Amino acid sequence: MANKIGLSTFVLASPFSNEDLHLMSKVKDIGYDVIEICIEDPSKLSAELMASAAEKHGLEISICGAFGPDRDVSHENSSIREKGIDYLITCVDFAAEVGSSFVSGPMYSATGKARLLSTEERKQQFNWAVESLGIVAKYAQTRKVGLAIEPLNRFETDLINTLEQGVALCKAINLPNVGLLIDTFHMHIEEKSLSSAIEDAAPYIFHVQASENDRGTPGKGQVRWDEMFMALSKIDYKGQIVIESFLPTVKEIAKAVSAWRPVAASMDSLAIDGYEFINSNSIKYLSGK
Amino acid sequence: MLVYGTESIEIGIARLSKFGYDFAEIVGEPEQITAKQYSEVLNRFNMPVSSIVSIYSPERDLVSSNPAIRANTIKYIKGNIDFAVALGAKIVTLTPTACMKIKPEVSIEQEWEWAVQGAREAAQYAFDNGVRLALEPWNRYETYLVNRLDQSIQMVDDIDNPGVGVMADTFHMSIEDKDIPAAIRKAGARLAHVHLADSNRAAPGEGFLDFGPIVQAISDVNYEGVCSFELLPAAGDIWGVLSGGKAPEFLDPYTESSIKYMKNIEKNLGLIHG
Repeated sequence: MANKIGLSTFVLASPFSNEDLHLMSKVKDIGYDVIEICIEDPSKLSAELMASAAEKHGLEISICGAFGPDRDVSHENSSIREKGIDYLITCVDFAAEVGSSFVSGPMYSATGKARLLSTEERKQQFNWAVESLGIVAKYAQTRKVGLAIEPLNRFETDLINTLEQGVALCKAINLPNVGLLIDTFHMHIEEKSLSSAIEDAAPYIFHVQASENDRGTPGKGQVRWDEMFMALSKIDYKGQIVIESFLPTVKEIAKAVSAWRPVAASMDSLAIDGYEFINSNSIKYLSGK
Repeated sequence: MLVYGTESIEIGIARLSKFGYDFAEIVGEPEQITAKQYSEVLNRFNMPVSSIVSIYSPERDLVSSNPAIRANTIKYIKGNIDFAVALGAKIVTLTPTACMKIKPEVSIEQEWEWAVQGAREAAQYAFDNGVRLALEPWNRYETYLVNRLDQSIQMVDDIDNPGVGVMADTFHMSIEDKDIPAAIRKAGARLAHVHLADSNRAAPGEGFLDFGPIVQAISDVNYEGVCSFELLPAAGDIWGVLSGGKAPEFLDPYTESSIKYMKNIEKNLGLIHG
């Protein structure tokens, strides 16, 4: 069976709200199976409306989070860690109610925090992330939802940059519903080899995001897609592959993603050409196994 | 030498000499370490200087909305040109925004105009002194104004002065450009300086970049300048990194492996023999 291919709402509207749910018809028409909805502002979204729109358009929903400065589960200040945990629990509830099997994203810290810390400070930050995400993951178990933790490049976080570091975090949390989201844009900056990074992290890979080296249309830049798909084939990856890019208007994590300029002729062409590319590679490398 | 952080210049230059480097690239902070202090050590190791790397701190911003900061930046670049002349270097690097400043203060059109005007004044001074400015694009996390080589080409054409050319840094290009060799070919004779680092900013060979076609493109545009390795640890806090957060592999190991790796590529392409 073929892998399901998705599109991130960051390509469509930001912050994505109930008023944008009609965009699902466009997503379905292009050929996508999944819409990945980022919960930027929970007050602007209703799980009930999301689920009924998805059913109407024949799409699955995948839930991801956006982690601004107030949603920081590894912050020095315990009240900010609490806010981060509360936000993630909200995301888990959304996931449970719309049928997403996990919440994904760089949930271990506020995105855009990239400081040089001492070894002790880093260890403390890591321990706070483990403690907070452990609380969230235990709650998520009761809702039959997983956590897919995303490593980010060095400019977006100082805590988890590589898949190897991500696996170490998963091992420290040590719960079966905790794994990784791997994103080709970040991997292109941080990894030494796509294939060995993926093979080494194999049992933890819950989710995949496809993004070009410049966040433009997948297939039109420098990411080593053949190697990527061969590695996914080798580990027998059956999950979703979601195309992600960012509208220059993104707010919650604007500084963090630094999307200063259009990276494709239009976001529509990115969604259409990106789908063709990921779908054809998915058929070539991953189907019929 | 930027790679070596706060280490003494004597140890750094000795290392370059030991591993067979033809040139050293020096950080342009002439008030911290003077040309005289450098010359003493450089002469001892018989090591020439290829280029001066300018440091664009928040007070050195060619497109600041504060005219005093713009004037200070031109003064700083001219100081680095004098520093280059004193050390016999041919290149001074230029980026028109403060490093890590990631949004404009006024319109992009206005900032572009300030950048062109300021760079033109500095380029004329460089040209009069036998030096060339190299306009370096940085990735999206370090600047918003000039991210790709085609933007550097556009700005160099707008400056329209023989004292400035385009600079290519393969780490930034690995994030921002779609095709590195094609971008270098497009720059053509404008190419004034090259920084080599792999996709993860470590030594060539440590990441994804295919340096064969990149080196071939550099050769095909008849680039006669120096390629220098600017490698930096995996941290987003550039100022923290520069003030000493070094990883040991960036000293002897990468200094040795970088030159070996690139010489081997040049040999395979038939660009050097032996």
